[in-house]
Amino acid sequence: MSIEIKLDKRIASVEILKQFENLLEIKVDDKIYQVDLMHNDEGIFSILSNGRSFNIELVPQPKPKHYTAYTLYDSYDLEVIDAESRYLRNRTGGAQMLSENSITSPMPGKVVKIPVSVGDEVKKGDTLITISAMKMESEYKSPIDGKIAIIHVSEGSTVDANQVLIEIE
Amino acid sequence: MKKINKILIANRGEIAVRIMRTCREMGISTVAVFSDADRTSMHVRYADEAYHIGPSPSSESYLKADKIIEVAKKCNADAIHPGYGFLSENAAFSRKCTENGIIFIGPTPEVIEKMGDKISARLTMIAAGVPVVPGTTESVKTEKEAIDTIMEIGLPVMVKASAGGGGKGMRLITEEKDITSLVRSARSEAKSSFGNDSVYVEKYITSPHHIEFQVLGDQHGNFLHLFERECSVQRRHQKMIEETPSPLMTPELRVKMGEYAVEAARAVNYTGAGTIEFLVDNDLNFYFLEMNTRLQVEHPITERVTGIDLVKQQILIAEGHPLKFSQEQLRQTGHAIECRIYAEDTDNNFMPNPGKIYNITQPLGLGVRTDGYVYEGYEIPIYYDSMISKLIVWAENRTEAIERMKRALYEYKITGVKTTIKFLERIMETPDFRSGNYDTNFIEKNKDSLLAATKCAENCEDMVIIATYIEYLDQLNIAQTSKEMYPAKNRWKKYTYQKNFERL
Repeated sequence: MSIEIKLDKRIASVEILKQFENLLEIKVDDKIYQVDLMHNDEGIFSILSNGRSFNIELVPQPKPKHYTAYTLYDSYDLEVIDAESRYLRNRTGGAQMLSENSITSPMPGKVVKIPVSVGDEVKKGDTLITISAMKMESEYKSPIDGKIAIIHVSEGSTVDANQVLIEIE
Repeated sequence: MKKINKILIANRGEIAVRIMRTCREMGISTVAVFSDADRTSMHVRYADEAYHIGPSPSSESYLKADKIIEVAKKCNADAIHPGYGFLSENAAFSRKCTENGIIFIGPTPEVIEKMGDKISARLTMIAAGVPVVPGTTESVKTEKEAIDTIMEIGLPVMVKASAGGGGKGMRLITEEKDITSLVRSARSEAKSSFGNDSVYVEKYITSPHHIEFQVLGDQHGNFLHLFERECSVQRRHQKMIEETPSPLMTPELRVKMGEYAVEAARAVNYTGAGTIEFLVDNDLNFYFLEMNTRLQVEHPITERVTGIDLVKQQILIAEGHPLKFSQEQLRQTGHAIECRIYAEDTDNNFMPNPGKIYNITQPLGLGVRTDGYVYEGYEIPIYYDSMISKLIVWAENRTEAIERMKRALYEYKITGVKTTIKFLERIMETPDFRSGNYDTNFIEKNKDSLLAATKCAENCEDMVIIATYIEYLDQLNIAQTSKEMYPAKNRWKKYTYQKNFERL
């Protein structure tokens, strides 16, 4: 059974060839690895491959099958694309467009100001919302020329990371 | 002399925990106060008593002087320790504590007022013979006066708001043609931020070093200093790394600056722990910048090289004890470095990154100290500072201290939020830092190498993909058959399974 895994922009196909307890022979794209893999329930992975030790920590994201992986120096966003998510993806193909027509919060915070209201005409680069987190205020600007379609939040409300704040049409 | 038996800590986060540690060693009971967002914070768990003081925003909780004093009276606290930030440099709060018969662990309200206003601080220092940055001694009220003063001092200059702080109402002027417009914008920003458009003008020191001296003063007229801290590694005028001794310092300069620092403390009859900040140029000319009338974030490096617990000294001084050591008895042993770990995205202009701590492994081993407050499963609130911990190392000499800091940063693992750990590790590898040849422009100057894309070890991307795949398969197994008789496919899991079994 081969599954696709998306790491940032790369999509790799993965398949387990052999397994004996924690020893795995596993294929990533066209490379075959013999690894010794151990992990615990908290998502800490220790992988030995060819004598090298890799320490990886996986944090599940609110969306199912989405993870953030932390290695020594980097963090990666990952998504497992199995039959189910492929099906969902095809069915809601249009949803991909959403990101260009909306503003999402990159971090949790509090809405300080929304200088626009529904129906307003905005130009690309106009400030649509100001979010404050940890004593710093950030302004988010319109990615396109358009009209404000929906405002999901109000001034003073708190927002989560990756929450859609404003949609533009 | 009044023995302090119970202290209320009017703060949160790592500093609240830090203060409580010393209280515990001294047999003093501790009282925490907390806002809505901090119910699960470490300082609440560590303290002997804890009281709720209001909603999450600090203006409605940690800055509510009356509410905090009310709690202190109700629980019979003898003293209040303000930590840093919040009410620590608030003269009115210090005064109110005294009026209510509670000891404020810090200087008198008069000292806080005098040093809090930048112009009166400058005047006090000039009177005490401490060198200050060339500039005006009184606030400049009109635009014309400002421009005349600037021409007199000579470019480049800094225009700063008299009532200011935090970089607001501050402008650097390097060219004559910009004078009018920059003075105007400094004044209007000062007006909107502090309700007062008076500004003062200072000569701008190019590529300065930011070096500060720790001072202590007791209630019996004894003053001494605990050497310097080099704080030039900054971003957005906020410190990131501090070390002591300063690589720029010479023994002669240390003696000279130390004497002036003590003079400065004596000039205001300072009581408690304070810090005199200086700007030092490349020719080793130094100028008084400001005095912080509180415990500093970076105080642990001084503790590490002198062996003196500064919080303990603050408490003893507040009780009325005279200092138990003299200037001659103090030694600076070895080298200490502190790195501040912020929950920030370094690749994204240091944008704050609050969130839930998924996993945390703090460094241990020889010469390592961490002052933190977050734990696994803790959600960092969005309302307060983004600093999550301070990592302090000590070694025999500077080279060894840098290597130890690199090792400790390597061990430090925090997942769930983005942190400055990787960025700090890069700084430890930067030639300018290693040679000790750096000033406040360090981060700007080395930006490219500090923010360069990381080259992942060979195949490590593939390893991440493998880990994700296995995690995904495990999740599937859990979803399908949760009550397998012998679910362990690997030894770590077997161990958990066994543990659960033993518990039955």
